[in-house]
Amino acid sequence: MKDGNIEQKLQSEARALLEQGRVDYIIGFEVGSLKFTTTPLITNNIADIDRLVINPFIVNNLSVYLTEVKGRVGIVAKGCDSRSIVSLIQDKQVAREDVVILGVPCPGIIDLSKVERLAGKDRDELDDITRNGDRVVITVDGNGREFPATEVLFDNCLGCDFPTPKEYDVLLDVSSPLVSDKAASQEKLDKLKGMAPEPRWQFWASEFDRCVLCYACRNVCPACFCQRCFVEESEPQWILPVPRWQDSLMFQVVRNIHVAGRCTDCGECERACPVNIPLRSLTREMYDLVDELFHYQAGMDKEAPPLLAAYEATDAEDFIR
Amino acid sequence: MPRTSSGKKVTNKTVNKKDIAQLLNQWRQEFAVLVPSLATGVARLASWDGTDTSFMDWYRNTVIPPKANLLPPVEEMFSFHKDGEGYHIELPPSDGHQQLIFGIRPCDAKALAILDMTFKDIYEDPYYLSKRSNTILVGLGCTNPYDSCFCTSLGSSPTDSTDVDLMLTDIGARFLVEEITDKGKELMANISLAEEATEADEARAQAAREAAYNKVTRQLDTTDIGQKLLVNFDNQDYWEKIAAKCISCGICTFFCPTCYCFDINDELVKNRGERFRSWDSCAFPLYTKMPMENPRLEKWRRVRQKVCHKYEFYPIDFKVVACTGCGRCIRLCPVNWDITQALANLPAKVRA
Amino acid sequence: MTATDISHRSRFLAQGNVYLPHLAVIKKIVDETGDTKTFHLNFKDDKLQGEFTFNSGQFALFSVFGIGEAPFVISSSPTRSDHLEITVRRVGRVTNALHRLGVNAEVGFRGPYGNGFPLDLLSGKNLVFIAGGIGLSPLRSLIWNVIDNRDKYENIDIIYGVRTPADLCLKYDLESWNKDKTLDMVTTVDEGDESWIGRVGVVPAILEQVAPSAKNAVAIVCGPPIMIRFTFPVLEKLGFAPEQMLTTLEKRMKCGIGKCGRCNIGNLYVCRDGPVFTYAQIKQFISSEY
Repeated sequence: MKDGNIEQKLQSEARALLEQGRVDYIIGFEVGSLKFTTTPLITNNIADIDRLVINPFIVNNLSVYLTEVKGRVGIVAKGCDSRSIVSLIQDKQVAREDVVILGVPCPGIIDLSKVERLAGKDRDELDDITRNGDRVVITVDGNGREFPATEVLFDNCLGCDFPTPKEYDVLLDVSSPLVSDKAASQEKLDKLKGMAPEPRWQFWASEFDRCVLCYACRNVCPACFCQRCFVEESEPQWILPVPRWQDSLMFQVVRNIHVAGRCTDCGECERACPVNIPLRSLTREMYDLVDELFHYQAGMDKEAPPLLAAYEATDAEDFIR
Repeated sequence: MPRTSSGKKVTNKTVNKKDIAQLLNQWRQEFAVLVPSLATGVARLASWDGTDTSFMDWYRNTVIPPKANLLPPVEEMFSFHKDGEGYHIELPPSDGHQQLIFGIRPCDAKALAILDMTFKDIYEDPYYLSKRSNTILVGLGCTNPYDSCFCTSLGSSPTDSTDVDLMLTDIGARFLVEEITDKGKELMANISLAEEATEADEARAQAAREAAYNKVTRQLDTTDIGQKLLVNFDNQDYWEKIAAKCISCGICTFFCPTCYCFDINDELVKNRGERFRSWDSCAFPLYTKMPMENPRLEKWRRVRQKVCHKYEFYPIDFKVVACTGCGRCIRLCPVNWDITQALANLPAKVRA
Repeated sequence: MTATDISHRSRFLAQGNVYLPHLAVIKKIVDETGDTKTFHLNFKDDKLQGEFTFNSGQFALFSVFGIGEAPFVISSSPTRSDHLEITVRRVGRVTNALHRLGVNAEVGFRGPYGNGFPLDLLSGKNLVFIAGGIGLSPLRSLIWNVIDNRDKYENIDIIYGVRTPADLCLKYDLESWNKDKTLDMVTTVDEGDESWIGRVGVVPAILEQVAPSAKNAVAIVCGPPIMIRFTFPVLEKLGFAPEQMLTTLEKRMKCGIGKCGRCNIGNLYVCRDGPVFTYAQIKQFISSEY
């Protein structure tokens, strides 16, 4: 289902923004060069606007481009993305008046690797993937098979609390409501929590053994906006920038600490990882810890100071007094 | 058009697919056998365990290319320690073991031939070349290319046998086996389970080659590509547009079978230490950073470098485009940056 | 195979492995300016010291073991090679570590690499050396080489500029060259101070004033990228053809032998095809890539 009406509304809003000179760039999604893929469209050209799409595959968190695209931007944002934008505003990386948020209430995004596993075929061998409310139809060789949508949505979508953007300038219509499965979304994390420390450590050592330090996880993350990442420092050298599992694990752990309070569980880090490291099992754990310890969720209040940049007199620790 | 076999007038052989484990076990006496494997959590070439032949069901390429077996993501170059007499430098122990890569695809084999040119150029790279000379390649033709594959646009094909020692082509229940080099011939010398190929086998193989060739849908016009890139070198508008959605991670370069850039770092603990080399990428901002300036601070310059290095600069030195159309960069890119699209949009003439 | 001619290069490989450094010992350290030192080195192996040769303009990679390696053009001349000299400005991890070393410390040496200056091209010509800041150091080897073979060359002009008088480098050489009647030396600063009585102005501007003739001449330029970019147009104005302008470039380097990929300008690698280039070779890329 292509959500035709939503697309038209989005395109007319985006076109108007450019025509009226209210923004310098539009950032949205267009059809990708691979089947069932979309790709970011960053343009200041009105002629490009009718390439904008809304479909079940608009997975990228486009707010990652806000810290580099110059000028005012009209940006397509799902629930998690809009929270990332608010988080960037809190961190003073972008000004609220420089962003026009085109909010997309998100029904959950389809995880192609789950589809491939269910279908037993690769993405490019499938005829069609269609979302119908809480069902998904996967068509292979002319035969359509129906599955509950909960079996093909990303884990973080299944556990999402805020699919509809709370901060927006334009809110598009809902295409279909989010289907949740909190248990499924927490399954991998619960399994890890059930492990004793030693086997859990072994698990991560073995997972990070295949990390090649491509930094895709860091570069897709809107919360990682540092001009110079700590791994790029040489005086002092925090970690040796070579892909040994100790250094790779250290990198990820420190990255998690740095994005604590900024991470909105958009899941991009795990999706981007080319070697299938379950990074969300770390980031979501941090996300839950932040909620547990500070009763804080990232990107909900653009006036609030960033979590770890604020101190309240009632905070538990007294080392700063 | 798909290439036929080496053209030498020899009788090819066939091997039954269900005999592959036996064949590999025979080779295992002499070589460390590497096969496509998911054992480590991502598709790559890894040590064969001696029994599991589920990789036979794969018809597509690995994620991590074979370059990782010759130019590992991290490699010790030497170690050093200091005593009363000063520093002592030691090379790591070289095992000199022979390795057999089973199931390398034509795009990846061609990529190794391209890497060889750099590592032999002027000063020989002992680490890569010693592994390379101890590696024998058993190629496997593809039957079902990805929609991201475009080997046919770069002088290769899903069944090209040019750069391997032994070439296997899928003809149903069996493989057609072609001995491409003397090393390949030696490999098959004592293999009793191989049979002589019949004319019907040869016909089936040729049909398979043509079928695979025609399944490659992605095309890239490389006519005069070096020249087109040369005239567009300073076309900042084009490069900025092309580079806009790139996030400057290292995926395209790390998983590219022909990319070889590396970094060198030392580590010291008390008086002992090592020098490593590890994969590096021209996509990273720090790649060219000097203390006072960075010629490629802006992202569009780095994207330009990657494209031009592969399609313009490398061919000037080595007469071959440093890309074999394996498609990994397109498949794995988190934002679906696509080099075939980028190059298709290259202006033919620079705007005045 | 690349077209680069390596027949003139010396190759001294440790244990047959091009990445392995030889050991060299710091014999003397000269403080040049606040952040610059010149190191005098000898190979630990006397036999190697006796056999070692190089061409002016070639560079080597010096290791501080455990910290890393950095490239420096050998600034001593092959005509005076009982020891080697390099001039190092303290700007990063390796250079900081080098500055912390004392006499008798051991460093690694890999080289000589690169093409060096084409002496046969310079023979019989008028030479115009144009250097900025620490860019004098890579030219120093050639300048002394030329002085030691004075009758092979015609007129010699040296134009050297620094930001302030406190930044003057290799002062003992400047003194010798000032006294040398067989060459013309012009020193300039961007900003003078109370005691400075010499010329004031950036190097390209002073070059225009000095206006050396392009007839039968070769210009050899070395300095910060911005100086090089502005000097070439002045030389063109003075009638120098692109083949008559030489420069020696510097880029971030790791392997030094054309393998790690990072020091390229177009298809040319500074380490493999340079560091000495004619302006003709790099003209196309100089504004964008350097």
